Amino acid sequence: MSPISKILLKFLCASAFIMLMAAALNFVVDPLQLFRQARPFPAMYSADTRMQDAGLIRSQPFDTAFMGTSLAIHFRQRDIDRILGGRSLKLSMTGSNSREQSFVLDAAMARHPKRVVWQLDDWIFRDTPEIDSDIFLPSGLYRRSAAGLAGYLFSGQMARESLWILARSLPPLEPAIARLTSDLVFKFPIADVDDINALPPDYDVAAGYNARKAFAAFRHITDPVRSRYLADGYEYEAMVRAFERDAISLIARNPDVAFDIYFPPYSVLQFVAMRDAAPSALKTVYDFTAYAFPRLLQFPNVRLSDFRAVKEVTHDLENYGDVIHHSPAVDLKVLQWLAQGKYQVDRSAPLASLERLKVQVDAYRLER
Amino acid sequence: MLFNSYSFIFLFLPVGLAGYFALGRGGNLAPVLWLALASLAFYAFGNWQYVPLLLASIAFNYGIGYLLVERKLRPKVRFAVLTAGVAGDLLVLGVFKYAGFLVANFNAVFSTGFVVHILLPVGISFYTFTQIAFLVDAYRGQVARYAVPHYALFVTYFPHLIAGPILHHRDMIPQFERTEAKRPDPHLILCGLIIFAIGLFKKTCLADGIQPLVGPVFGPGSPTFDQAWIGALAYTFQLYFDFSGYSDMAIGISLMFGIFLPLNFNSPYKATSIIDFWRCWHMTLSQFLRDYLYIPLGGNRRGPVWRYVNLVITMLLGGLWHGAAWTFVVWGALHGAYLCINHAWNRFGPDVAPRLRPAATFAGAMLTFLSVVVAWVFFRADDIDSAIYVLVRMADPTRLALGRVEIVNLAFIACYAALAWFAPNTQTIMGYDHARRTVGDSLAQARLRPWFLYATAAVLAFGILGIQQHSEFIYFRF
Repeated sequence: MSPISKILLKFLCASAFIMLMAAALNFVVDPLQLFRQARPFPAMYSADTRMQDAGLIRSQPFDTAFMGTSLAIHFRQRDIDRILGGRSLKLSMTGSNSREQSFVLDAAMARHPKRVVWQLDDWIFRDTPEIDSDIFLPSGLYRRSAAGLAGYLFSGQMARESLWILARSLPPLEPAIARLTSDLVFKFPIADVDDINALPPDYDVAAGYNARKAFAAFRHITDPVRSRYLADGYEYEAMVRAFERDAISLIARNPDVAFDIYFPPYSVLQFVAMRDAAPSALKTVYDFTAYAFPRLLQFPNVRLSDFRAVKEVTHDLENYGDVIHHSPAVDLKVLQWLAQGKYQVDRSAPLASLERLKVQVDAYRLER
Repeated sequence: MLFNSYSFIFLFLPVGLAGYFALGRGGNLAPVLWLALASLAFYAFGNWQYVPLLLASIAFNYGIGYLLVERKLRPKVRFAVLTAGVAGDLLVLGVFKYAGFLVANFNAVFSTGFVVHILLPVGISFYTFTQIAFLVDAYRGQVARYAVPHYALFVTYFPHLIAGPILHHRDMIPQFERTEAKRPDPHLILCGLIIFAIGLFKKTCLADGIQPLVGPVFGPGSPTFDQAWIGALAYTFQLYFDFSGYSDMAIGISLMFGIFLPLNFNSPYKATSIIDFWRCWHMTLSQFLRDYLYIPLGGNRRGPVWRYVNLVITMLLGGLWHGAAWTFVVWGALHGAYLCINHAWNRFGPDVAPRLRPAATFAGAMLTFLSVVVAWVFFRADDIDSAIYVLVRMADPTRLALGRVEIVNLAFIACYAALAWFAPNTQTIMGYDHARRTVGDSLAQARLRPWFLYATAAVLAFGILGIQQHSEFIYFRF
């Protein structure tokens, strides 16, 4: 072998060695707890729920899966358990679509939950790529495929997180590193599973949720430069297809699981924005509801609640951080309504709440 | 298939190299055919439906070239053949790349509702431009006879096929004909691997690492002054390391096959003027536009006014080459205007006193960089309104967030800026000389110091460890 060939071989061996060391580190620390529950290193969690959910489903005990979008991201599991009963696992994913939600819930079904609490809205049923083409959801981790696990083990980003978790587990370093830990730089900064995406106790709710912010968001989304985003993805046929494929098929495949489905209390401004800047999208929302509600209620294991016309909440703009996201106080109200069966859709009049919503949206006049 | 994918690194590339060198023992033609077929397979992996179009384009241009090179045609007929060839190429490019854009504008002007759904075949601009250059050179009598396999490989050669550089037949085909290139050269393979490693690291660790800072600013959000600058600068460096990384990887891969690709990227953010910038950014495109558009338009031969007109036309078409949208037209127009101002300054501006030259050079570099950042906003934005929205925010210091997130992001961007401005580029590190066909001479003489070997091995390892599920080259779909 020539000297340069030996150098080439050394180069390749050195690269392979570094990669194997990274994989070994990831396997031992296992930041996602995919292979085992956290030990001997304390568990740390990530707010990147599309990735984190794959580990939560494997490592956490639960009998209730809680799913939704950013509208259901700030709930605390202990509140869900206290108000609804049972042992919950929050799997909500910001900006998620129905295909992602259905895929993650399907993976959770392997743990045989008794109940699914599912925040649905029309927006999640927009046309979306196949799950394997979804660049944000690591489907291989949920399927535990060889490629998915190899991608996890041979990830430099994960090795950096592993090193961080490892360093944090050393008692002399722990206080300093805990202070330095920040979700700006590291993906696993959360020490308590209940804190994933929950607002911190010292969060200034009044500053985060108020009418001024809601109106500012309304003006922003109805600005002619931005208003086209309001109608993005609102195609009736595509939404119905996605609804059947993702929601209905999951419910039909799991007749022994109780599905507590609710449509969240958007502020009335969301619908008013559509009314004024994207009326065709608003019509699609109405048409989709008229299709989806009776269809869902065909299933005996579904309990459906519609909070979109709960005027005392949706018209009180102090509850909102923008036109759709409501405050933690409304989170608690949602749980109480679900526990009490309030605003449940009547199987004999499935479109009554929709009619109330239409009247409210037509009647609403903006305060200038 | 992407260069920064496991399937490419651990399957396609080793199999391609092994087949190429194994067949190289038996003769000169078989490895060329193998590489051409491998290139087609590489293309077909993500764009199989456009393989017939690529093959048809090769057959059409080779046929036109044959008429121009082999047949003794009268001058007028030769010109007609060239015209037909170039028109055919431009027609296909126009249909696939610009039909949707034209129809959208027609609909906007005449309130009609025509619908055109044509997917853009990846790499069509590159293989069309390389072949137009071939036809023009054939017409000028600057093309020798080429065998079909070599010509096909020149067009489809996978390291350049989907994102450049734009190759020139006079540079490439003689290399494909060399027998020595068919034997494995451990020195070239090692240098190629190191260059590939650096490119991969730039892509997976640097470009993909800064990507999350870009989207929020160019989306439906409402950025403050500092957030808008962070987004624009993040995109500026994302694009830099994305394109630079791709160019390095292309050169490195090609080098493993014993083929030297032209440089396409030479630290453009270190440029001290826009003229300098365009000598360093996408160098093969700049050369193509100069030789086959700017000079045929008349260049600077018809006086200073026509020089400026030709510059603007060239840059407008260069903008449209990057994408069929008005944002790219504005981007091209801005660079055309920048070049005109730069040339006018060189002609009419005052001479700088020697003692002020360092300050003038620094000011030139800053002004060039800022001009480029402003133009990138149009390059990245979905439409002109959105670009102006971001630029307005960048010009409004009264709206300032400057929280913990912004400070961390600014520090992050400062690291990228330091790398782009002060680090040596790959060709300097590796001593890559395309013209002399040499690379790594100093490394070989120094017997490759262990620290360099292990450092570059770590760069390759981190580059592979940095591969993410969601990663796509942004300087890509042309």
